[in-house]
Amino acid sequence: MNKNSLYKERRVYMYSLLILIYLFCLASYASEEGKGPSIKKIPDSHRLSSSQYHMLRVTISANQQINVITGTVRDADGVLAGVTVALRQAQGDQQIAGSSVITDAKGQYSITAAEGDVLVFTYVGYMTVTVTVDGSSVINVTMQEDATTLQEVTVNAGYYTVKEKERTGSIAKITAKDIERQPVTNVLAAMQGRMAGVNITQTTGTPGGGFDVQIRGQNSLRLNGNNPLYVIDGVPYSSDPIGTGINSAVLPTQPSPLNSINPDQIASIEVLKDADATAIYGSRGANGVVLITTKQGKAGKARFSSKVSQGAGRVTRFMDVMNTEQYLAMRTEAYANDGIPIPSYAYDVNGTWDTTRSVDWQKELMGRTAAFTEVQASVGGGSEHTQYLLNGQYNQQTSVLPKDYTYKKANVFLTVNHKADNGKFESQTRVGYTLQDNNQPRIDLMREAVTMAPNSPELYNEDGTMNWENNTFNNPLRNLEGSYGVVTQDLIANVMLSYRLRPDLKLQTSLGYTTLNNKELTANPSTRYNPAYGLGPQYSTLIASGAARSSWIAEPQLNWKHGFKHGSLEALAGATFQSQRSSQRVQYASGFSSNSLIYNLTAASNVYTLADDVTDYRYMAFYGRLNYNHQDRYILNLTGRRDGSSRFGPGKQFATFGAVGAAWLFGNEAFLKDNKVLSFGKLRASYGVTGSDQIGDYQYLNTYASSGINYGGLVGLQPTHLFNPAFGWETNKKLEVALETGFFKDQIFTTVGWYRNRSTDQLTGVPLPGTTGFSSILANLDATVENSGVEFTLRTVNVQGKDFNWSTQFNISANTNKLLAFPDLAGSTYANQYVIGQSLSIQQLYRYTGVDPQTGVYTFEDANGDGMLTADDKTAIADFTPQYYGGLQNSLTYKNWQLDFLFQFVKQENYNSSVYFGLPGSFGNQPTSSIHHWQQPGDVAATQLYTDWGNGAAIDAYYKFFESTGSVSDASYVRLKNISLSYNIPLKDYQCRLFFEAQNVLTFTRFNGADPEFKSVGYLPPLRMLTAGVQFGF
Amino acid sequence: MKRDYSNLYTWHLRNFLWRMLFSAVWTAVLIVIFSSCDDFVAVDLPNSQLTTPTVFEDRATANAAMLDVYAKLRDNGLLTGNGGGLSHLLGNYADEFDYYGTSQGGTVAFYNNVLLASNADVKSLWDYSYTQIYGANAVYEGVAASTALTQQDKDQLQGEALFVRALVHFYLTNLYGDVPYITTTSYALNRRAEKVAVHEVYAKVIADLEQAVALLPEAYVGSDRTRPNVYVAYGLLARVYLYAGQWQEASNAASAVLNATDLYSMTAVGDTFLKESGSALWQFAPGFSNGNALEAQTFIFSMGPPPLSALRSELVSAFGNDDLRRTAWIGSVTDGVTTWYHPYKYQNNAGTESTEYSVVFRVAEQYLIRAEARAKSGDLIGAKEDLDVVRQTAGLPPTTAVTQEAILADILEERRLELFSEYGHRFFDLKRNGLLDGTLGGLKPGWNTTDRLLPLPQAELLLNPNLLPQNQGY
Repeated sequence: MNKNSLYKERRVYMYSLLILIYLFCLASYASEEGKGPSIKKIPDSHRLSSSQYHMLRVTISANQQINVITGTVRDADGVLAGVTVALRQAQGDQQIAGSSVITDAKGQYSITAAEGDVLVFTYVGYMTVTVTVDGSSVINVTMQEDATTLQEVTVNAGYYTVKEKERTGSIAKITAKDIERQPVTNVLAAMQGRMAGVNITQTTGTPGGGFDVQIRGQNSLRLNGNNPLYVIDGVPYSSDPIGTGINSAVLPTQPSPLNSINPDQIASIEVLKDADATAIYGSRGANGVVLITTKQGKAGKARFSSKVSQGAGRVTRFMDVMNTEQYLAMRTEAYANDGIPIPSYAYDVNGTWDTTRSVDWQKELMGRTAAFTEVQASVGGGSEHTQYLLNGQYNQQTSVLPKDYTYKKANVFLTVNHKADNGKFESQTRVGYTLQDNNQPRIDLMREAVTMAPNSPELYNEDGTMNWENNTFNNPLRNLEGSYGVVTQDLIANVMLSYRLRPDLKLQTSLGYTTLNNKELTANPSTRYNPAYGLGPQYSTLIASGAARSSWIAEPQLNWKHGFKHGSLEALAGATFQSQRSSQRVQYASGFSSNSLIYNLTAASNVYTLADDVTDYRYMAFYGRLNYNHQDRYILNLTGRRDGSSRFGPGKQFATFGAVGAAWLFGNEAFLKDNKVLSFGKLRASYGVTGSDQIGDYQYLNTYASSGINYGGLVGLQPTHLFNPAFGWETNKKLEVALETGFFKDQIFTTVGWYRNRSTDQLTGVPLPGTTGFSSILANLDATVENSGVEFTLRTVNVQGKDFNWSTQFNISANTNKLLAFPDLAGSTYANQYVIGQSLSIQQLYRYTGVDPQTGVYTFEDANGDGMLTADDKTAIADFTPQYYGGLQNSLTYKNWQLDFLFQFVKQENYNSSVYFGLPGSFGNQPTSSIHHWQQPGDVAATQLYTDWGNGAAIDAYYKFFESTGSVSDASYVRLKNISLSYNIPLKDYQCRLFFEAQNVLTFTRFNGADPEFKSVGYLPPLRMLTAGVQFGF
Repeated sequence: MKRDYSNLYTWHLRNFLWRMLFSAVWTAVLIVIFSSCDDFVAVDLPNSQLTTPTVFEDRATANAAMLDVYAKLRDNGLLTGNGGGLSHLLGNYADEFDYYGTSQGGTVAFYNNVLLASNADVKSLWDYSYTQIYGANAVYEGVAASTALTQQDKDQLQGEALFVRALVHFYLTNLYGDVPYITTTSYALNRRAEKVAVHEVYAKVIADLEQAVALLPEAYVGSDRTRPNVYVAYGLLARVYLYAGQWQEASNAASAVLNATDLYSMTAVGDTFLKESGSALWQFAPGFSNGNALEAQTFIFSMGPPPLSALRSELVSAFGNDDLRRTAWIGSVTDGVTTWYHPYKYQNNAGTESTEYSVVFRVAEQYLIRAEARAKSGDLIGAKEDLDVVRQTAGLPPTTAVTQEAILADILEERRLELFSEYGHRFFDLKRNGLLDGTLGGLKPGWNTTDRLLPLPQAELLLNPNLLPQNQGY
């Protein structure tokens, strides 16, 4: 390790931070200086209290009746603490501002007012209420949330918060209101379609599975290098997959790490997208940051709330496949075409199987109704100084398969906030514990269910055993023998301590700890084989894996805020220290003495350890922010971070990231200030650099590791990779310009943004010639990936009245992904995968030119005319990046009724149903569309001639078809993603809400496969889920 | 609390001092934090990895690094007994096998002699070979830097590494012609590696082998013959000299092996490939405790038509009726109409008991090398003696050849019969004797003169233009 350079490096930022600290102190000192001690230091006892001011005034106008007015302020959910109650005193025709008070923890206030005075109740996010004092001494007020005052709401930007209207970065936000009303177990499902620039795809309908999340497109060439950073209450939550992936064959992708959070616990989710918002996360901000903030307790008497819901889930769409008549006709014709009599092994068509039987196997194997149950209870409350919220939740979901599989999740969550009497010390503590227990089949049944011959025999014998139909039938239920089980335990805890050193200077420290334990077992018992093979439990296998990950983080931070005559300055400086340790062990066992012992490793005669390692990840950083707001019109925001990561070698561990963001609130300019149409106008722009260190640990070391390969009884050691200690961060330069405008008191609010992100120094395998001994070396490849696009959001308040409210939100995003540069692409292993100037998610394909009317087989364009179809003829390019996507949400309330619904839409191409099916004519069902096939010369058909592997040209064409444009088609869809209807029973002392919620309700698509939402072909699609429930509270 | 604010100056001073104190405390805290910066992001090694220097400070791990090179030679590339190795590919490329397998993949192009530079097998032979060379170079360099290994261990490991490096380069140059000779692990150098003319490759191979001979011990490590000793290096040296036409040297090197009679002797035909065979110089240890040679799984089939390759009938009928090898080393399968033949040198394709190891170098070849070298240098009597040792073991009478030409022809034919389906011996024999066109031209319609060299992998040329030009004919 090069000590010198590191010391130098250390010294540089040590000094810079010291200078910063001194500047802080001096600046605050200087500012105090100006005011002098005489104003500031008036002891409290010398000040006039508001009541004393009152007394003064009362003596002035003694002709009016003076009363002490008390009351309670509520909203739909209960009492509201912290509401400002301001007095406006009538003085002749005019009103002058008087004193103001704030409601206490019980929502109560007390103020002295005269008859004719006006009380103005204001609270951020709520419509202002004005009440004229009429002589009664009790004035209770119920406040309503106001969709048009969202500009005043503060947004969590991670290390700081900012008012929505003052933010200079691109931050999308959804709140509990949207999240709670969806019957989902993973919060990512709740985010789908609701945020511009955030593209989320559920990879499987099997519960407990994964999601593919891309914020503004794919930045990295490494497929697993595109995860956003997840931060839960300030604690980064690793998105790295757990385990090796050897287990869990039923899931197409690794389970989502966010399965560990109960969506109902979440108060808000903010997604940071541009440089201004993400640069403060430095090396981990390249792919965007997802901030999850959990709910907090509210002051007031203990409030209890419980929710019970029950529902049902089904597959959204099945594929249209042939019935028995059509199928058998196809099979018979295939043999006729091949010129051979129906062979003895063609059980489906030679009479061995009942040729009159017709079964819808998709319905049979995936047509059950999955049950969804959720129970949840919470109690919260507290005093002015201390508030708490305790929440417990349990939910379970069964499966659509013909055997009982259950995903269970239980979760406890406690948060306690405390504020000391002097108001200087504050603390927030949150602890959440989640247990997931998921039991699923070993293998997804989807593909087999689709392609089973429709006249396949009964699944079960009369005695209830699996029917192998005299060894002629490969019963699909064999896949349900054995199971995949995973148990995950998660603990997330964090404490935020802050101390106000001076009115404008706050020191805070966030401390977090997360730990996760995961155990997976995949059992493959010998009963999955036809008993005719006579394979006993010695052929049973078990894959057992265990993984653990724990991490702690400490983030001290200093905040300073100061107002000047014409503006205000905010600054913060902080540091991050994080350490994470992960371990995993994967074992493969075979040769059991009995299938009943198959879950026990000790019962196996052979146990191989496939992986066993412990890895450490350390991370530290210094970050800062400087924000200047000039007269609420010009805002400049500077953020920066200096990061060090153990994932890089000596001399490369530290790097600096930063961004500059600016906003011009032109709506506040004098010439627009009182404009009747335009109520808000902001132009913002940002530019900056972020990075990515998602490359795994220890890649820079020169190491040997076990090859796992035995030679003469000893296991060899092999060089793990070429030694390159000199690679650094992937950098992502982000540019964004956006315009936000509000019209008619913000009843119509729009945001239009344009961005361009360029990822360079791609950390990937740089292709090397074989003479180096390896095909690549991990290094910063001089390749550039660009994502650019436009995002548009529209929010309208259509009707806002006493009884009826209706608001609409719409978002649409279009992202263009482009590979701008890639040195030595032609010679690299990526040669057939990427094309310069095209998106990263393309496929190079043959151009399909239809079924030859003469020969009856699929034909393709021979682009170079050499008479052969080779890789060079793959000139067509299919781009699987969505062209655009978005959502349209409507919220309607009428008295006690509330209706919300969301349409999600995606314009995209994807593999069509053809990739599911075998050779047309061979054993296995075909889509109904294959009926339109070629039969004789001259036919113009969509499907080639039927054959049962007897026609070489047709077989070859069939394989080529998968690599042609014929296998790709439009997979765009519009989906009624979520609908929720609820009714609040008007009760005096209780709150009772009945609700109906549904997910993936309706799908409108021309896609010719099953569900158009998928990443990997052949897996159970997301389910349609309908639930109903009741929420009760007091 | 009451303060005297009358003296503003005092107030300012006190306030200022307090602030300075505050700053100083913070500075101290930060210095503590900062001073642990680089330590903080330094992490320990994972328990599953060792740094390269550590590997070679310990005898066991250093040996494990070398063993992995052998495991790789056994499982992948030139010398593997599976379908991707030379035994199978060059057998198809020359006149040993007929190919029956799938038309997908690269082997059919070997069989039809229509290789393209983009052929996957051509590329994997190349890539695996250089990976193995990297492994050998890494061991050589690691051992050189080691401070803890004994000189004896160092000699042993470096000798083995040099032997492997020479072995793989020798095959590469015979397949591809001019190739880079890689002697370092530095990718910065290797990615720009330049081709070296064939005779220079030979010179480097010989130099490496001579050094290996000086370093390697006479005794085998362990109880079996799965790690090369000095005689294996001599054995390769004999072959290299033979190919290079240096007859005297070839003869001397072969003699060095054949004189070690306490170690080596011809064994009965049926015992040649057993793991305890006394005629084996070097064998690959199997990958499992009950494992056997991979060749058995590749070549043996029990039903016709063959799933992969079968011996050509000309080869089968080239054996005399009383040749013991015909019955011991060739198996047959019939469907009643057609009969197919497969190599049966390795007979155990089950994994229940370990009986056969894949033999890379064996005594019979050394006799044939010396016979040929002696014949070429005029020692016809000595040549016949050596040839007859092999013939005798096969149950054949002594050769009747008299002239040098006839003896050489007999030796060539004996090599064909003795070494069939082993590591492409047949192809290399035809090639070095200039008989490729004459033999294969009439037999195989796809054969061209330029097919004597394989194409350099297309991707390789794109990534390293120093390897241009492509071999002729591609």
